Amino acid sequence: MVRKKLPKKEIAAAAGCILLAVATLTFYVWHQAAVIQIGFQTSRLEERRAGLEEEIKKLETDKAALLAPVRVDRIAREELGLVEPQPEQLIYEDTRPANSHE
Amino acid sequence: MNDLGLSFQGRINKRTIILAFFFFLWFFIITLRLIQLQVIEHRRLRQAVISQSQLERSIIPERGTIYDRHGQILARSLPAPTVCLIPHDDDRPGDLMDRVERLREILNLSEREIQKIESRINDGETYIYVKRKASWDQADRVAGLNLKSVYVQQENRRFYPLGSLAAHVLGGVSIDGDGQSGVELQYNTRLEGVKGLSLILRDANRRRYDWEILKEPKPGQDLVLTLDETIQYIAERELEKAVREHEASWGTVIISHPASGEILAMATSPAYDPNDYPPSSDELGRNRGIQENFEPGSMFKIVTAAAARETGVVGFNEIFDCSEGKIRVAGWTINDHKKLGVLTFSEVIIQSSNVGTIKVGQRIGQERLYRTIQDFRFGRKTGLDLPGEESGIFHPLNKWSRTSIAAHSIGYEISVTAAQILQAMNIVANRGVLIPFRMTRSSLNPKGFSPEIPIAGDRIISEKTAAELTSRVFEGVVADGTGQAAQIEGFSVAGKTGTARKLDRSLGVYQASRHVASFVGFVPADRPVLSMVVVLDEPKFSLQYGGQVAAPVFREIGRRVLLYLRQAPQLSPDKGTVTAQLRSKDQP
Repeated sequence: MVRKKLPKKEIAAAAGCILLAVATLTFYVWHQAAVIQIGFQTSRLEERRAGLEEEIKKLETDKAALLAPVRVDRIAREELGLVEPQPEQLIYEDTRPANSHE
Repeated sequence: MNDLGLSFQGRINKRTIILAFFFFLWFFIITLRLIQLQVIEHRRLRQAVISQSQLERSIIPERGTIYDRHGQILARSLPAPTVCLIPHDDDRPGDLMDRVERLREILNLSEREIQKIESRINDGETYIYVKRKASWDQADRVAGLNLKSVYVQQENRRFYPLGSLAAHVLGGVSIDGDGQSGVELQYNTRLEGVKGLSLILRDANRRRYDWEILKEPKPGQDLVLTLDETIQYIAERELEKAVREHEASWGTVIISHPASGEILAMATSPAYDPNDYPPSSDELGRNRGIQENFEPGSMFKIVTAAAARETGVVGFNEIFDCSEGKIRVAGWTINDHKKLGVLTFSEVIIQSSNVGTIKVGQRIGQERLYRTIQDFRFGRKTGLDLPGEESGIFHPLNKWSRTSIAAHSIGYEISVTAAQILQAMNIVANRGVLIPFRMTRSSLNPKGFSPEIPIAGDRIISEKTAAELTSRVFEGVVADGTGQAAQIEGFSVAGKTGTARKLDRSLGVYQASRHVASFVGFVPADRPVLSMVVVLDEPKFSLQYGGQVAAPVFREIGRRVLLYLRQAPQLSPDKGTVTAQLRSKDQP
């Protein structure tokens, strides 16, 4: 049996082609994986953003509830012991007359 | 051999024919079955497959936020968890009920709720609510149990951070988030947005494996009201105090900015908390300011006085003899609250003499009085952008009887709403021009009120008549007449009191012990910053007159609101606007 010797150039070309194909495939797979990964990250960040927006809304609403006039009035009167000033206790300064409007 | 060969060949042919026959028969049956499934029952089966594998769910958009004029949040939708049951094919009703029983304590499910869920399970429903809009703590505990077919999903829940403040204006929403009353109902289409649609894909066991949005939901638009949170609070607090003190059945206060028609506060007592909508009774949910008709009594003398001056039939200094303290009209005797002697026209209104006003009314005449009442828009809704507004009861001229001139002159035989009477007073405050009320603004107003006048409106009475009535009559009511309890130190107040006896419909007589006490006015009288009507129904004890019961409420609210609006007293030139400030220790 005679062993046919393959030309080195052809081997090199074939190897190069295979390497290129493998590299391309590897790059493609890596690229796809990266895209999916970024997609997941984007999705997570979107969720986080939506969550934070909801949190902000909730906090704004909590703030509104905490600043409700009925609550502020109660704390001022009952906890801080404040009372409404009598007319003679009032100081009038830097004012506009009653018949002018903002 | 040949015979044998033929016989064998014949058997083969025969078997082939039989086999072919059965094969074609089988094929024929299969074809028929396919035709039945694919053609005849196509629609039904397609539907069955879709219902098994696909589920369309509405996506409820986030409802718009409602703000007061300065941007304070009055109503907002926040996410809330909903616990639901999506049964699989292999779930037996008994197993599902066992799971529901495990949720009973966590979700505080009542016996009625359990029964409802059980009936829906037995009906084979594919999506069953266990608890809608639960707390996040409850949702976490349910999720922790990891029960099969039990899911926690997200919905939106309406939240009113200020509790019962402005409850009757805001109204409320149903469990599905639809507006049921108040601005929530009036502006429901704008607030609710547009529902979206999602498609849930399920496997043969009805397990969800994917979903997609078929139609994106469009969030609702925000709404800015003309209400001022602080003024609303002041009004509600003082009204609630007065209703409690006088043991009134109900009370209402409406405060407006006359020049713009903007409603700054609209309060009804008793109130309810819209976070627990619906209120415990329909009565509690009624916005008395626009949904309650009542005979206004002497407050209506505003219209009689306007008609008298506008038609020129009476001069301000003309004398009316009211010394008898009573007058007979078509067999009925109408009394004054006391004998008032001889009065000028101005004094008749200032002292709220029924006798004098009836004499004025008789001089005006039926048609002219009727026309003026019509011009003041009684018997018609004010057009305020709130649902359920009453029109009042104003009988057409052909239904008037011999007592009608007298009765209408002093505010009987006609029913009005508090908003209508405030609108009438605003015509005087606006120098004869009617500015329609409004409850919403196009934008926030962080600095204060919009510039005053001019805003175009319908002229109802002349500027001269309105100005003269203000300075010569309605300021006198508060300065020297029945409305003295409405005086606010440093400010000129114009107003009119009202005390109307209530009609006992079964007996057809007016009762001496049941009244509607009221006061309507504006301040400062020359260029009003605010106008207000106060109505208390059936105040108990000895104080029953509008001047004793409602006028003090006007004073207390007016004083505080003027302070809040930083309005300087006019009548004490040495004083300016009231301010209070804290100084730091470093400051001298």
